[in-house]
Amino acid sequence: MNPGGLAMQFRGLARASQAVHPIAGLPRLAPVRHSLNTTFLPRVSAFSTTAPAYCANSQSPPTASETNNKSSLDSTDKYVAGLRHNKNWAAQTAREHPDLFPTLANGQQPQILWIGCSDSRCAETSMLGLLPGDVFVHRNIANILHPGDLSSGAVIEFAVKHLKVKHVVVCGHTSCGGVAAAMGSKQLGILDPWLLPLRQVRERNLAILESLPVDQAAEKLVELNVRESLNIVTQKSVVLEAIQERGLQVHGLIYDVASGVLRELDTTDSDEVIKKRLVAFKLEE
Amino acid sequence: MTEDMKRNIATIFENNKKWVSAKKEGDGAFFDKLAAGQTPDYLYIGCSDSRVPANEIMGLEAGEVFVHRNIANLVPNIDLNVMSVVNYAVRHLGVKHIIVCGHYNCGGVKAALTPTDLGLLNPWLRNIRDVYRLHEKELDAIQDETKRYNRLVELNVVESCRNVIKTAAVQQSYRQKQYPIVHGWVFDLQDGLLRDLHIDFEEMLKDVMKIYHLSDNEMHSETSGGA
Repeated sequence: MNPGGLAMQFRGLARASQAVHPIAGLPRLAPVRHSLNTTFLPRVSAFSTTAPAYCANSQSPPTASETNNKSSLDSTDKYVAGLRHNKNWAAQTAREHPDLFPTLANGQQPQILWIGCSDSRCAETSMLGLLPGDVFVHRNIANILHPGDLSSGAVIEFAVKHLKVKHVVVCGHTSCGGVAAAMGSKQLGILDPWLLPLRQVRERNLAILESLPVDQAAEKLVELNVRESLNIVTQKSVVLEAIQERGLQVHGLIYDVASGVLRELDTTDSDEVIKKRLVAFKLEE
Repeated sequence: MTEDMKRNIATIFENNKKWVSAKKEGDGAFFDKLAAGQTPDYLYIGCSDSRVPANEIMGLEAGEVFVHRNIANLVPNIDLNVMSVVNYAVRHLGVKHIIVCGHYNCGGVKAALTPTDLGLLNPWLRNIRDVYRLHEKELDAIQDETKRYNRLVELNVVESCRNVIKTAAVQQSYRQKQYPIVHGWVFDLQDGLLRDLHIDFEEMLKDVMKIYHLSDNEMHSETSGGA
């Protein structure tokens, strides 16, 4: 084992030269998109980092028969549009990359495992400018990794051991609803145990978080959460083995929803940290 | 890190910049709108498989679909991960549609039919063997192996839809607001097309209510609610 060499491999890439700062100030009002009147107000979510989106709108809510009966959905409905877009997309992708679908039908060799947030704004393949077949994906609430979670555990095991990805990416993002919830103290039912690791990170960093203005504290917790998830990733023996044996890279990214730009975190660990990690977590067959 | 790997990552950051420029060209306020918050109409539960990118296959933009992806698009009843996603999407985002999307040639489904010990993956993939057991007669009657495997992919989607419908969040929201509607799709890697399995949501809901009814008690609704 060569801790120096391993440190090189743990080391993140140089920061992207055009890194952006997380958005400052409070987010604006959400655009009104749904036809909801006050009878159908969604409750104000403790997750919401913005004002709720049901403000002034005179249109009436969809009726049961409207939402329930697919044939009554008009062409502006996103579900209908989605299925229609798919036909265009398949045809266009096949035109631009004639070999892609026939190749994909034979198997996948993605180089990247992406662990990101379920947030609709964080569309990984689009923002990376990559194609189907390039990125293996796990997305959950607030890109949290629980050590004993079988879902993410199975994803990491499959991607690293069987698909032999070259990069594992954990990506957090600004204005994360999960992080906003963990900065508050409202009971949220089943989401509470899920968000627990975020609260643990909050507890460990309470002094620094309380020293910052509210919006900056939330962005700080976004970053700390990415680091914590990377921590869990590199506690898995299958990952440590791949780092040592074939140079697997782990990266921490923050996606700025206000600009669309990805920023890479410096995740360099000291040799001592890496050595301790290997002693404690690397398992032999 | 090899030069080759450095290039790969550098390309991605270049791509990201190009994507940002293209989006701004199409709509100068694209990112300003996203910065204001998300109001997606859809929750998409799909496979982690790299060949099935959610936004691309649906032709939807960033901000339009909330996404959970795991191995073989499973919705295990006691998986806190997917249950948190369903809960958040339904109770806090108020999505109108929930889509469970499987795909033919699914490695997870194939692995579940293989008599191999896959260690950590065993308990996860066992859910797919349970789907087989629930539909054993139908599947056993299919002689052609590929067709049988494709049918298991479809039935796995159907059972995931059923598990989504078993949740209190979906039952309560549907009773109060007549949404979300749950849909089952299968993506075909060979031609890039989506196939709607035409799940009868109302019928399936009625069917599960006899045993899984969780929407009577308003005390547990919304913010205090379970999955």
